[in-house]
Amino acid sequence: MKKAILFGLLLAAFGAFGQEPEKVIDKINAKLATVKDYTVNAHIDADIPMIKIMPSKAKIYFKQKDKVKIESKGITILPKQGFTELNTFLSDKSKYTAIFGDSLKIRDVDTRLINIIPNSSSGEIVLAKIWVDQKNAVIMRSQVTTQTNGTVKTDFKYGSQLSYGLPSELKFEIDVKKFKMPKSVAADINKTSTDKKKTKSKPRTKGNITITLSDYDVNSGLSDSIFKEKKKNQQ
Amino acid sequence: MLFKNTYNEFIKIVSKPRSYLGLGALTLLIGIIIFAMKADGESMVSFVTASFEQTLSFNGKLVNGNLIAFIILQMLVVHIPLLIALVTGDLISGEAAMGTIRMLASKPISRTQIVLSKFIAGAIYTLVITLWLGILSLLVSHVVFGTGDLMVLNSDGLVILPEADILWRFGLAFCVAFLSLLTVATLSICLSAFAENSIGPIVATMAIIIIFTIIGSLDVSVFDSIKPYLFTTHMASWRSFFENPVPFGEIMNSIVILLTHIVLLVGITLFKFNRKDITS
Repeated sequence: MKKAILFGLLLAAFGAFGQEPEKVIDKINAKLATVKDYTVNAHIDADIPMIKIMPSKAKIYFKQKDKVKIESKGITILPKQGFTELNTFLSDKSKYTAIFGDSLKIRDVDTRLINIIPNSSSGEIVLAKIWVDQKNAVIMRSQVTTQTNGTVKTDFKYGSQLSYGLPSELKFEIDVKKFKMPKSVAADINKTSTDKKKTKSKPRTKGNITITLSDYDVNSGLSDSIFKEKKKNQQ
Repeated sequence: MLFKNTYNEFIKIVSKPRSYLGLGALTLLIGIIIFAMKADGESMVSFVTASFEQTLSFNGKLVNGNLIAFIILQMLVVHIPLLIALVTGDLISGEAAMGTIRMLASKPISRTQIVLSKFIAGAIYTLVITLWLGILSLLVSHVVFGTGDLMVLNSDGLVILPEADILWRFGLAFCVAFLSLLTVATLSICLSAFAENSIGPIVATMAIIIIFTIIGSLDVSVFDSIKPYLFTTHMASWRSFFENPVPFGEIMNSIVILLTHIVLLVGITLFKFNRKDITS
């Protein structure tokens, strides 16, 4: 009888422990769900090997569930993934299994790692790790590995919009080892073979893009038509 | 007297139909490039950004007037030397072939001044061609495509320059491009002093440019010691104005080498022409 009670308690404890990461994710999703739409000014600072670009400004429009529009006067470079993909993926619990990992202190905030393992092997996301501030129900760091884009690590900082779970700064660390210059268009006849050998040494494989977000306008009721113009504006 | 003779030399250039061939060809080529870029510019740019776009997304107007002007400049600076040599290669040898050089030498003007006036007239023609290239490529492409940040591809990667930081680069790039073309003009005038017909100096100029360019582009260390002294190596130094930061030291080095070529070639021409037998 005692053994049966002990076994029952252990089973209940493991069962509760197994559901806990999903509850944490539920809280994050619930917080983000309060944001129907927003616009925000972005200051983008990219430090990527093989790309030299000055800091630029853009305006980002977002509307649930995954409509995003980036408006900029000049050319801006952003990570291909990182704005909505993870949240969209997390919002559908049937697509993944969440498992708690280690605890970690990120910028003096206690976080807990949750490993997100997709249930299907055919999806874009191969593995995701999120470090969650359970107290505020926000993601402090994420590391998403996809089939086509490699691994993207993102650090989140929060400010005035913490109550909505919207960050004030995003720092992306992207994998750049796949970049290859098309030699036919990049021919540089000024460079001698010695110069070329010098430039080939120690290539960096990681790039950083820091996006500072300010002047949020949350739930102002953005029209869908703004997002329909996306393709025209991005050309 | 030098001014008057330069004016006369320029009138001679203007009166030759071949002088308009360069301007006409430039206009046609720029028109074709702008039409092609308007029709399919996006796919050309995506070919360049393809390897980055797996991980990154480029937002904003990538195909704009600044990019088109840069592409035009890059495509045509390679071919314009032929158009320049077509006119300047004829300046002395053409007179020798027609026999007018004797009449010219009988005027109360020194042979040195005759040569210098031909060089100045050739330089003015080169300047006209460069300005025409600049006006057409910058103005027309800005009218057709609008303005925007400039994305430049070189062997080190992509450089994206803000719109407000571009015009001065184009201005200085055209100045260095003019200097490069002036070196070609000087070379063809110099070769012209050695020839008795027009075709020889024109073909010889292009042959020298082709040979030097091939030596410069061969990726073998045996040529590394001579590459820095070939004028063709420095003909593309206008591109350096579109790097960030601008390598002013390298550009100054290129300018010095191009100017040295010009001075040397003018010197050789003066030496040859002052001793040229024009009686036979």
